[in-house]
Amino acid sequence: MRRILTIAAAAAILITLGGCTVVKPWERDLLARRDMAFESDTLEAAREAHIYFSKEASMPGGSGGGGGCGCN
Amino acid sequence: MFFFFLMTSQASALGAGDRAPDFAAPTLDGAGRVELSDYRGKVVYLDFWASWCAPCLKAIPEIEEIRSELPADAFQVVAVNLDQKKKKALRFLEKHPIGYPSASDPKGRLPEQFGLETMPTSYLIDAEGVIRYVHPGFKKGDGSKLRHEIRALLEK
Repeated sequence: MRRILTIAAAAAILITLGGCTVVKPWERDLLARRDMAFESDTLEAAREAHIYFSKEASMPGGSGGGGGCGCN
Repeated sequence: MFFFFLMTSQASALGAGDRAPDFAAPTLDGAGRVELSDYRGKVVYLDFWASWCAPCLKAIPEIEEIRSELPADAFQVVAVNLDQKKKKALRFLEKHPIGYPSASDPKGRLPEQFGLETMPTSYLIDAEGVIRYVHPGFKKGDGSKLRHEIRALLEK
């Protein structure tokens, strides 16, 4: 049973890896669209990041120690 | 290992000293053909661009200015557009007309041959068809660097 599960897991990994590809520089047409960005509004994202690291007492951004005053 | 294979499966990038692969491709408006060998004997500035690539669009007016400054019998600009849908590229060119031919390669065969590593990338090719200078990207101030490289090659 364990062997079957291992084979099934390996097969699933191999099948899903088949979907991986390197996007070439000239293939970024759709990825360059505004609606494909992780953040739709960069200014809003920067503001939220600032609030986050001020409240979490972390600097810079979401990692590292120190800060907390929100003044950086 | 799989990811290593993915990373290394790209064709190697052409650089200074390599022969530029000859190509023939339809023009962006579909009315004609662009053939690199037609410009043998001239210094050719080959520019890969796309309408979704902001630095490419910044470079085009600058390239057009350089082209108009230099003698047409010794210098030629050839562009290759890589948009999958031509509409946006044609719309951009309506607003910023260019005096040089632009081929269309929506399937990306030519950048694959040249081993393009970034967008935009341009190649300065000498009269014998050998790449003499590669310019990756385009930022403020690059125009004067390009002028310098082109003039230096024209004077050789």
